[in-house]
Amino acid sequence: MKIAVCIKRVPDTEMRFTIAADGKSVDPTGLKYEMSTFDEYAVEVALRLNEQHGPGDVTVVGLGPDGVGEILRKALSMGVDRGVHLTAPEVPFDGRVVAGALAEALTGQGYDLILFGRNATDTGAGVVGAMTAGRLGLPCVTAVSHLEIANGRGTARRELEGATETVEFPLPAVLTIDEGIARGRIPSLKGIMAAKKKPIDTREASLGAPAIVVDRLAPPPDRPPGRIVGEGPDAVPELVALLRDEAKVL
Amino acid sequence: MAAIFAFAESRDGALRKVALETVTAARRAADATGGGEVHAMVLGGPGIADAAEALGRAGADVVFTVEDAALARYSPEVAAATAAAAIADGDYRAAFFPASAEGRDLAPRVAAALDRSLLADVTEFTFEGDDVVASHPAYAGKAVATLRLSGAPALLSVRPGAVTAVEAPRTPRVEARPPALAPAEARVVVTGLVARGAARLDLAEAPVVVAGGRGLRAAEHFGLVEALADAIGDAAVGATRAVTDDGWRDPADQIGQTGRVVSPDLYIAVGISGAIQHLAGMRSSRVIVAINRDKDAPIFKVADYGIVGDLFDVVPRLTEEIRKLRAG
Amino acid sequence: MSFVPARHQPPLPLERLIRSEPPDAEALEMDVLFVGAGPAGLAGAIELARLVAADREQGGGLGEVSIGVLEKAGALGEHSLSGAVVNPRVFRELFPDVPEDQLPFRQRVDREAVYYLTAWRAWRLPTPPTMGNHGNWAASLCEVVRWMGERAEAMGVNLFPGFPADALLVDGQTVRGVRTTPVGLTRDGGTGSDFLPTTDLTARVTVLTEGVRGTLGQAWRAWQGVGSPNPQIFALGVKEVWEVPRPLDRVVHTLGWPLPRDVFGGTWLYPMGPSQVSLGLVAGLDYRPAGLDVHRLMQRMKQHPLFREVLEGGTLVEWGAKSIPEGGYYSLPDRLSGDGLLLAGDTAGFVDVPSLKGIHYAMQSGVLAARAIFDALKAGDCSAGRLAAYDRAVRASWIVDDLRRTRNMRLAFKDGFVRGGIKAGLMTLTGGAVPGGRIPMHEDAEAARVPDGAEPFTPDNVLTFSKLDANYKSGNATRDTIPSHLIVGEDVPAEVAAFYARLCPAGVYEQTPEGTLRVNPPNCVDCKATDVLGPRWTPREGGSGPQYRVM
Repeated sequence: MKIAVCIKRVPDTEMRFTIAADGKSVDPTGLKYEMSTFDEYAVEVALRLNEQHGPGDVTVVGLGPDGVGEILRKALSMGVDRGVHLTAPEVPFDGRVVAGALAEALTGQGYDLILFGRNATDTGAGVVGAMTAGRLGLPCVTAVSHLEIANGRGTARRELEGATETVEFPLPAVLTIDEGIARGRIPSLKGIMAAKKKPIDTREASLGAPAIVVDRLAPPPDRPPGRIVGEGPDAVPELVALLRDEAKVL
Repeated sequence: MAAIFAFAESRDGALRKVALETVTAARRAADATGGGEVHAMVLGGPGIADAAEALGRAGADVVFTVEDAALARYSPEVAAATAAAAIADGDYRAAFFPASAEGRDLAPRVAAALDRSLLADVTEFTFEGDDVVASHPAYAGKAVATLRLSGAPALLSVRPGAVTAVEAPRTPRVEARPPALAPAEARVVVTGLVARGAARLDLAEAPVVVAGGRGLRAAEHFGLVEALADAIGDAAVGATRAVTDDGWRDPADQIGQTGRVVSPDLYIAVGISGAIQHLAGMRSSRVIVAINRDKDAPIFKVADYGIVGDLFDVVPRLTEEIRKLRAG
Repeated sequence: MSFVPARHQPPLPLERLIRSEPPDAEALEMDVLFVGAGPAGLAGAIELARLVAADREQGGGLGEVSIGVLEKAGALGEHSLSGAVVNPRVFRELFPDVPEDQLPFRQRVDREAVYYLTAWRAWRLPTPPTMGNHGNWAASLCEVVRWMGERAEAMGVNLFPGFPADALLVDGQTVRGVRTTPVGLTRDGGTGSDFLPTTDLTARVTVLTEGVRGTLGQAWRAWQGVGSPNPQIFALGVKEVWEVPRPLDRVVHTLGWPLPRDVFGGTWLYPMGPSQVSLGLVAGLDYRPAGLDVHRLMQRMKQHPLFREVLEGGTLVEWGAKSIPEGGYYSLPDRLSGDGLLLAGDTAGFVDVPSLKGIHYAMQSGVLAARAIFDALKAGDCSAGRLAAYDRAVRASWIVDDLRRTRNMRLAFKDGFVRGGIKAGLMTLTGGAVPGGRIPMHEDAEAARVPDGAEPFTPDNVLTFSKLDANYKSGNATRDTIPSHLIVGEDVPAEVAAFYARLCPAGVYEQTPEGTLRVNPPNCVDCKATDVLGPRWTPREGGSGPQYRVM
C-alpha cells in the first residue's frame, strides 16, 4: 500500500517547561524535540501494514522549521521510505491552516491511507487529521485503536467512554491513530545507516492566514496547598470527615 | 439576533451527560452575547425526539431532532453533514460540541465542512466583540493556552466536566429535520458498539477515580483498589503507566500524558509516587487524595489530602469507613 | 568498626565484556569506531574525518573511511557533565573557521575568586596559579557536545546515540569491534514487545572514549594486563544548574566547609550567561567517614551565604552527578594502545586536578588518536606496533607535560588538607620538582571507611532537595521494567549498605529499616561512583539514565 504519515515535531516538556518572555510561547532553551507520541504509533502502523500486506511505500510528511528534518530522519530510520518537509517558521496553532497545507501536499498522490496521530502532544487539539480528510474529501476514522485492512476496506476500533466502537470504511482513507495499537519501534543501527540515503523532499508549506491566535500561555492555576492528614490507618476517619464536610466530595 | 448552536450527544437512544453540559455552555454563550436563542441538535434512532424535553430544561429554545433508524448508532459523516448544514443555514454566533470521544471526532469534521477554524477542547470561554477567547490546556497540562478566534460562527468543543450542567428550563420548539446526508450514502459506518467493563464507570465520566500504582506490588492487589471503588459506588478504576506496562491492568486504564486525561471530582491515588507523566493526566481533578508510604513522593505535592502509610493498612480501612458512611 | 569497600566489591565480569567470538553475519562494518560521543570521541571523529577529506582532496588514495561514534545516551550530550570552564585551545585548532565567540560556550571568564569557607564565613584566598582561568570560557558540556555532534555529522561521521557498547569483540589479542546492548529486555531478562537484539559493529580500530571509569576500558586493561604506576583514583561531583534572578559576575571556587577536613575536594559556582549559574561539589572517593554523602553536602553548601545569596529567588533547572579521574600523571595507563584499540579522554585519565580541567585534554587525546589512526589506515596496519605511535604522541604532548608538572599535587592531599596544602604550594613553586618522586596511592576501594553518624537532613524543596527529587531533575526517565545493570556483592553487611546508600547521589541504593540493601536500578545516572567503591556498573539499554540538557 502507498501510505502517508503526517508527523509533528513537538518539544519534550516532561522535564523542562518554561514559558518564554513573550508570554505566548514555550522557551526553547534546553528543550529537546521529538516526534509526537501518537505520530510515532502512526508510523509504526504504516510500517506494520506494509509488512503484513507485502511491499508498499511509506512517506512521512512533517511541517515546521529546520528541526523537523530530524524527526523525518528518525521515521526513515524506523523503515519509512521517504520524507516530505513542508517548511514553515513555526506550526500555527490553528489546525485548519495546517490541514490546508498538508492537504495540498497530499492531494493527487494516490495514497491508500493517510495516517495521523490522534493528537499532537503539545497543542493537544486533535483536529488536523479530520480536517485534512475533509479537505481531501476522503473518509476518515479518528482515534483508531485497532485496525484491519482487507480487499480495499478497513475495519477499525475506537475507544469511547465506557465502550468500544467498530467502524468500517473504504480505502483510500484518513485515519488518526490512538494508543494501544502499536508502539513505535526503536530504529536499528542498520536502519539509521539506511536512512541517510533516503530522500527528503523539502519545500515551503503553503499556509493560509490563521483565524486562531495564541493570546497567552500561562502555567495552570496553582492548587491550594495540600496537607498530610496523618500517618497510617488511624488517619482514615479524619480523611473521610474532611472529604465529606470540607471538600464535599463524598 | 444571532443564535448559538449546541450539538447534543446521545448514545443508545439516551442523551449523554455531556449533551447537557454542551447546552449549558451554549446557554451561557447566548446570555453573554445578548440573550439569543440556543438551538440544540440531537441525532438518533426512533424515539430520540423525546430528548427534546431534557434539552429544553438545560436551556435549549429550539431542538432539532434528526430521527432515523440508521442513526441509532453514531454516523460520523451523517452527523457532520447535518450539523454543518444546520449551522450554515442559520445565523449562528457560535456552535458548541462536546470534546468527548464522539465530539472530538465530529467537531473537526463539521469545521472542515464549513471551512472554519475550531477551538478544540476548551475549558473556559468568553466573548469579546467579534472574538471568542477560550482556555485550552496544552503541553500535557503544563500550560493553559488562551486562544483567540475571530469571526462567526465560532466553533468550539468543550472538555467534558469543564462546564457543569445547570437547568435553565424552557419549553423548546421541536423541529424534526432530515439527515443532510442519506445514511446509506455514508462511507464510514459504525457497525458495532460494545460496552467495556459494564459494571464500572468509564474513567472520563466517573465523578470519582481510584487509581493504583506500583506501590500495589502485584496485579492481584488491585482488588484493594476495586473494593474501594465499589464502596464509593460511582467510581472508575485507573492505573499508572508503570502498572499497565507491566500488564497488571489494561492499557485503556492508564491515566497520564500518553493515556487518559481525567478530571473527576475526587481522585484517589493509591501507591502512586506521582511521576510527572501521570500527574499530567490527573492534576486537574477537583480534589486529590494520595496514599503512599513515602512522605516525599511527588504525589503529595499535588494532593489536597494525603495519608502517609502502608496502603495495605490504609486502603482497607478507608474502604470500611466509606462503607459505613454510605450505610449510615 | 571500620571496613574496606574492596572486600565487598564484586569482580568485573570480564567474560561478558571481552568476547572472543566472531562478529555475527549481520554486523555493521565501520573502519573506525569511537565508543562514547563525548569531547574525546567527537574531537577524534572530527579530526579523522578532516584528515580523510584532506587526503581525498590531495588524491592520497585512502578513499572512503567510515567513522562511527556510539553513544549510550538517547541523544548526544545527555550523559555529559562537567563544571565547566573550558580552555578553548583545541577548539581553535579543530574549528579554525569559527570565531571564538561563536563557539558553543556561555561566556568568557573575566573575574574569578577562590574562597576558604567556614560554616558562616568566606575568606578570600589568592587564586593559585594553577587555577587561573583568564581566556577560558564557562560552558555547558551538553551544549558543547551537541554542537560538536552537529559538526561531526556534517563531516560525514555516523553518530549512533542510544547504542551503548556492551562488549568488545576480540580475536586473539586483536579488538575487532563491539557488540551493542539489547533493548527491551524485561526485568527477568526475557524479551518484551519492543525487543531490539544486539548489533555487532566491526572496526579496524576501536577507540574507547567512554568517559570516566569506562567499563570496556577497564575490561580491556584487565584482559591485557595494562597497569599504571599508581592505580586510578576518583572523585564524585554533584552538579546543579539554577535559573537565577541576577547574573553572576565571576567564577568562584571554594575550599573547606562543608567538606570534613580529611576529605579532598571543593566546590564551584560558575556564571552561565545572564540568567543561569552552575554549581557543584566534588569529594575524593578515598574519604574516610563512611557516612559522607556528596549530594547532601552539596545541599548544605547551598545554605552558605556565599551561595544562598546567588540562588535566592532562583529555581533548580537541572541536577546531575559524575565521577572524575583524579590520579593524574602517575595513574595514566602504561599503554594506551593495543591491536585495533586505543584509549582516550577520561577513560585514559587525562584530567588535571589542580587546574580542574579535562575537556581540552580529552579533545586533544582524541585528535592525537585520530592522527595515529589515519597513519595506520594509510599504512594498512592497525596493529599494536603501529598504533603505539599514539602512545608516543601523547607522551610528547602538552597533555602529559601539564599532568607531569602537577603529578603529585592531588596525591599530596591523601593525608589531609593542611599538610596537602603546604606540599601543593611547594610543588607549584618548583614546577612539580619538590617533593619529587612518586607519592604512592591505593585504590579508592582499598581505603578503610569509618562508620559515623549522619546529620539529619530535611530538604526544603526550594533551595535543597532530596535525592529522588534531584534525580527527577536529571531528566532520568529510565524504563522501570529494565533488568538491573548493577552487579552487587552478596550478603552486603548493614554498615556497607549504609555506605552505598550515602555514596550514591541518585538514590539507587537504599538501606531498608532491617539494615539490608535495596537497589533501585532505574534511578542510576551513570555517575560510576559505586563502580569505583562497590557494586559494578555495566552497560544497559540505550537511552537509559539521565537526559542532561545543560549540564
